[in-house]
Amino acid sequence: MNTLSTTSIDEKTSLKGLVLEIQKLSTEDGPGIRTSIFLKGCPLKCDWCHNPESIPTKQGIQWFEIKCIGCKTCVEICPDNALKFDDKGLQIDREKCSICGKCVEECPSTALQIFGLKWSVADLLHEVEKDRVYYEKSGGGVTVSGGEPTMQTDFVVEFLKQCKEKGLMTAFDTCGYTSLKNLKRILPFVDLFLYDLKEIDSAKHNVFTGVPNETILQNCIWLAQKLREDGKKLWIRTPIIPQYTATEENVRGIAKFIVNELKNKIERWDLLAFNNLATDKYQRMDIQWSLQDIPLLKKEDIESLYDVAIEEGAKNVQWSGLTQSESKDNQQ
Amino acid sequence: MAESKKPPTNASCKTPVTGPKFKVAEPHNLSSRAKWLRDYYFQGNDREWNNQYMVFSTGASWGERIWNEGDFYIVPDTYAFIGENTKGLYNMSIELMAKNVKLPEGFWKLSLPERRSTFFEEVMLNYIPQEIISTNDLIAGGQFNTQLSKCLNEKEYVQFEKENLRNRHAAFKYHKNGFGNLGATGGHLIADYKIIIEKGFKFVFRKAKKTYESLTEKEKNGSKGKELRAMMISAEIPRNLAKKYAEECRRLIKESNSKQRQDELEQMAQNLEIVPWEPAQTFWQGMQSLWLTHMLIMAEESYPGPGTSFGRLDQYLGELFEKDVIKEKNIDRDFAKDIFSSFVFHCNTAYDAQIKIGMQGITSGFGQLMTLSGLGPNGEDVTNDLTYMILEVFDEWAPILEPKPNVRLHKNSPDKLYEVILDMITRSQGAPFILNFDERSMAGLVLEGIPEDEVWDYGCVGCLENTMCGNDRSGTVNCNPNLAKSIELVLWGGKNMPGFKRPTKANRKLGPNTGDPEKFENWEEFFAAWKKQIEFMIKYTVEDYNRTELTRAKYMPTPYLSILVDDCIEKGVDIRAGPPKYAFMTIEGVGFATTVDSLLAIKHYVFDKKEYSFKQIKEALENDFKGKKEYEILRAKLANKAPKYGNNDDEADTLAKEVMDIWAQETWKYKTPTDYQFRPGMLSWNYWAGNDAFYTIATPNGRYAGTFLSNAICPTSGADTKGPTAVANSVGIALGGKEDNGSYINVLPNGASHTITFNPNILRNKEHKEKFKAYIKAYVENGGTALQINIIDSEMLIDAQQHPENYGNLLVRVTGYNAYFTSIGKELQDEIIARKSHKM
Repeated sequence: MNTLSTTSIDEKTSLKGLVLEIQKLSTEDGPGIRTSIFLKGCPLKCDWCHNPESIPTKQGIQWFEIKCIGCKTCVEICPDNALKFDDKGLQIDREKCSICGKCVEECPSTALQIFGLKWSVADLLHEVEKDRVYYEKSGGGVTVSGGEPTMQTDFVVEFLKQCKEKGLMTAFDTCGYTSLKNLKRILPFVDLFLYDLKEIDSAKHNVFTGVPNETILQNCIWLAQKLREDGKKLWIRTPIIPQYTATEENVRGIAKFIVNELKNKIERWDLLAFNNLATDKYQRMDIQWSLQDIPLLKKEDIESLYDVAIEEGAKNVQWSGLTQSESKDNQQ
Repeated sequence: MAESKKPPTNASCKTPVTGPKFKVAEPHNLSSRAKWLRDYYFQGNDREWNNQYMVFSTGASWGERIWNEGDFYIVPDTYAFIGENTKGLYNMSIELMAKNVKLPEGFWKLSLPERRSTFFEEVMLNYIPQEIISTNDLIAGGQFNTQLSKCLNEKEYVQFEKENLRNRHAAFKYHKNGFGNLGATGGHLIADYKIIIEKGFKFVFRKAKKTYESLTEKEKNGSKGKELRAMMISAEIPRNLAKKYAEECRRLIKESNSKQRQDELEQMAQNLEIVPWEPAQTFWQGMQSLWLTHMLIMAEESYPGPGTSFGRLDQYLGELFEKDVIKEKNIDRDFAKDIFSSFVFHCNTAYDAQIKIGMQGITSGFGQLMTLSGLGPNGEDVTNDLTYMILEVFDEWAPILEPKPNVRLHKNSPDKLYEVILDMITRSQGAPFILNFDERSMAGLVLEGIPEDEVWDYGCVGCLENTMCGNDRSGTVNCNPNLAKSIELVLWGGKNMPGFKRPTKANRKLGPNTGDPEKFENWEEFFAAWKKQIEFMIKYTVEDYNRTELTRAKYMPTPYLSILVDDCIEKGVDIRAGPPKYAFMTIEGVGFATTVDSLLAIKHYVFDKKEYSFKQIKEALENDFKGKKEYEILRAKLANKAPKYGNNDDEADTLAKEVMDIWAQETWKYKTPTDYQFRPGMLSWNYWAGNDAFYTIATPNGRYAGTFLSNAICPTSGADTKGPTAVANSVGIALGGKEDNGSYINVLPNGASHTITFNPNILRNKEHKEKFKAYIKAYVENGGTALQINIIDSEMLIDAQQHPENYGNLLVRVTGYNAYFTSIGKELQDEIIARKSHKM
C-alpha cells in the first residue's frame, strides 16, 4: 500500500522510491497502454516544465482550492505555524513549513496534498502488475519517468529488474543529464528509452534548462549504439516550445544530430507541441510561471517544423500536442 | 388508410439561433426510403398515423380491469397516477377511452385463458385496422399498442381487485420505507422467434394440438386443457392477421400508380400469405415473420417495448440473408437494408403509446434488444454478413432509440468487428450499442444451471440482462432492492432512522433487531449484524414480490406468449403461471457502491483508525451532515479519505467482493410460488437516480440524504480516481474475478450494468484508437458482463443544458439504455456531467 503521509515513512526500510504519481492507462509515454511512474527530482529546471512539482528532490505540499471546505483544521494543527487563511485562500509559508505532513493527514477533503510518496519496490511492482492484461493486449508496459528517474537510480534499477523478472515491457524516460554509470546500470532492464533532446545549441540549452547539453548528447550517442547492439529501442522526444525550442535551426540541428550521430537508427522522433495546462500547478506552488500566457503554436508552425525534420532526412517523425486551432481558450 | 406520400416536415427540429459549439452525431448515408421513415417517425404527434394506445373492454357489468398497474410498480414515478385506495387517475382515464368489443356467443362460459385469446383475436382482427404506414414501408404490421380487458368474470374480478389493492399497498410500503421497488412486470424475455422463422406457427400450433389430444378427459377439463385450447386459438392469430394485411396490400396495389410500388406490395402480400404460419423462405419473409410475431407479444401483454427482445437475430436470419443477398442475389444489399430500416421504424413506434398526451418516450427506457455476434457452439466466432449490415443500419440511423443492439465480444472476436464498433463509437456521443462480454456472462449463466453446451446461445433483454433465447423468462427488473437500506437498518438496529422526512414512520421496526452498534467490539461483529439485515432485506423482497407474482399468475394469463417459450406447450402451462424450460426471477441489487463505500468508511473510521464512534456518525447522518462544522468535516473525511470501491484498491475490492457474494448468495435460497428460481443481477435502471435515491437517508460514504445512489455495478460517481483500467478491474473482481486456472467467475448471472465515460480525445488518431481497442480487449479479460461507453466532453453537456435547442440529437448512455440528453431531468443531467470523464 502506498504511504499516505510522511509521518509513517520508515526511513530505515531500504530502497524506497519517492514517487510523484502513478498514472494508469497512460498512452503518451511509449507504445500501448502503460503505467507511468513519475519519480521526484530533476537536475534540469526547464522554464516550460509541465511537472514543476517533480523538480525538487524533497516532498512538497500543495493546496487545492477547489477541494477545500474551509474548515481551517490545517491552520489549527500546523506545528510550524506555517499556514494561514486569508481572503485569497490558504497561504503556505514555505520557509517555515517543515513538510511534516500533519496538515495533509488531517485535511478532511484532501485539499492539502503531499507530493512525493515513498513506495517500496514490492508495493510498486504489485501496483503495476494489476494492469498486466492491458499491457499484453496493447503491447504496452511500464514507463519510469519523472522528474529525472536517474536521480533515484538505486531504486529504479531494482524496480526495473523486478519488472523484467515478471516479464513486463519497460520504458525509461530520461532527459539524459546523468552519468554514464547510471545509464549502464539501468540499460539491462529497459526495453525502450524515451530520450529528450530539447535544444541543440548548448548555450541556449543552459539558459532554458539550467544545464548545458554536451553530456546529454554524448550519452545519447553512446546509448543509441548500445541499444542498437542489444536490439532495443530508442525514441527521441523534443518539446516544441514557442519562444524557446520552436525554431527552425533547433529542429534542423537535432535532425542532423539524429541522422549523423545516431545514424538515424531510432524508432521514432516525437515533436511535442507546448500546452499551457500546467498553469494551475504553478499557481498551487506559489510560482509565477513565465510561460503562463504564451500563445500556443499554430498548427502550421508545428507542421513546418515537422517538414524541416523530414527535409533533413529524419525518419519516423511524429508531432502531437495542442495547437491554437484545438484550444478552446484560443477560440474565444 | 391510404399510404402516406406526404414528405415529412421535420417539425421537431427548431432552427437554432447559433449553431452548437460541439458536433453531435447525426444520421448519414440514409437511403431515401430510410430517410423518409426516420424523419416521419420524428414528426411525432404531427404524424397522420400513430401507434397510440387503443383500449378495449368487454363491457362487463360487474366492472372492468384493463390497465395492469402491477406492470408499473417498478416505476415509482407512476405511483401518483396509480392511486391509493381507488382505481386511480391513470386507470380511470384508460377506462374512459375504452371501446366495447362485441363478444362471441358463450364468451363468459370459456375459461380465463380462452377468454383472453378469443378477445385478443377479436381485437387484432376486427377492431384494430390493418395498415401499411407508407409507400416507403416494406414490413406490414402497424398498430399494436393496446390496453386489453383482462376478461375477468365477476368472481375473478372481485377477487382480483381485492388482491390487487393488497399488493399495491405492500409495494408502496416497500418503496416508501426506502427498500426500493418491486412488481411483476411484462416483457423482458426473448421469445422463440427462431422457431417461427424456421418452422412457422403451424409447427407450434400442431405441437399444442398434439399435446392437447394426448391429455386425458380429466386433464382436458382442467387447467392444462384450458391453457392448451387457448394456445391453439393464439397460434392461429398471426396467420389470420397476416391474411388481413395481405388483403390490405392487394387493395393498395390498385391505389398505387407506381409500378415499383405495385411490385413491392405484391411481394409483401405474397410474403404475408406464407409467414408467419409457414417457415420463411426469404430474408424479407423472415423479417416480416419476426415483426408480426413480436408486435403481437407486445399487443397481448398490453405493454409495449420494455424488454421484449429479439435475441440473436443475425444468427437466425443470417442464412436467409446470405442466400438472398450474397449467394443468389435475389435482392441487393441496399434493399435488404431498406427492409431492415422498415423494421427499425416499427420498433420505434412502441414509443407512440402515450404520444397524444405528450409523453412519447417517457423514459426512453424501452429495450427491444437485438443480440449480435458472439460465440457459436464450438467456441468459434459467429459474426456474419448480416451482423455487419445491421450495424451499418444502426450507424446510419443513429441516433435512434430502438431497437437496441448488444454486441457480444469474446476472446476471439474478429478485428473487423472491433474496427466497425470503434468507428461507430467515434462518430457518436454514446456508443449506439452495449458491449456484452461472453466469457464473463456465460460463467454466470452456467452458475445458474444452464448446460455448458447451450450457454453460448444466450441473448440480452431489457438493457443488458442475460437470458437464454426462446426458453427462458428471467423476470429481470422485477425486484429492485436498494442495498443501501441495509446500512440504515444496521445502524438503527432494524429500524428506520429517526427524523428523516419520508412518508413512513420514523423509528418503524422493519428488520431484525441487531442491537445498538455501539456495542460491537470489532468489525467482524458489526459486519455479521449487517449481514443479518441484508438477509432480511432479500427475504422481505421475495415475500413481497411473490404476492404480485401469484396474483398475476392467477388472473393474467398470456397464452400467445406462452406458445413462444419452450416447454410451456409441453407442460400445458401459461408462462405467467408456471415455469418454462428455464425460469428465474431476478433480484437486481441497487446502490452497490454506496453500500460498499459506506461499509468501508465505517470500517476505516470506527474500527481501523478508531477516530469516530457510531454515535458520532449516526448523529451526523440524522442531521444530513448539516448544521455543525464537525458534521461537515466528518462528511468530507468519509467521502474523501476512506477507501473506495472502483480504484482497484485491494482492501476496497476485497470487501466489495465479500458484499457481492453475501447478497447474491442470499437470493438463491428462494423460489416464486410459480416455481421460478430467484437469482441476482445488477441492472439498477433509473432507481439510483430516481425515487429510490430520494427515500434514502444520508449514508456513511459521505452521501447527502436523497441524492443519487451509485449506479448498478459502477463506482460512486467521482470516487473512481485511478482511471478506466482500475474501474474495470474492480468490477471484474466484484463479480468474482477468475479461478487460478483462468476460468471466469460471475456471481451475477443476470449481468451487471457498467457505464464508463471517456473524453473524446481518446479516439483522436489511429494510434489512440488502437490503444482504446486494446482496452476493450483487456476488458474482455478483466472486466464485467456488459459495458456502455459514453464519449463525451463534459463541457459539451453543460453547453447542451444551456442550449438544449442545439442538441436535440444528443444521445447519451444513462445506464443500460440511451436517452436524448435534453429530454431527461436536470438532476439526471447533472449526474451524467458529474461522472468522471476519462482521458487517455
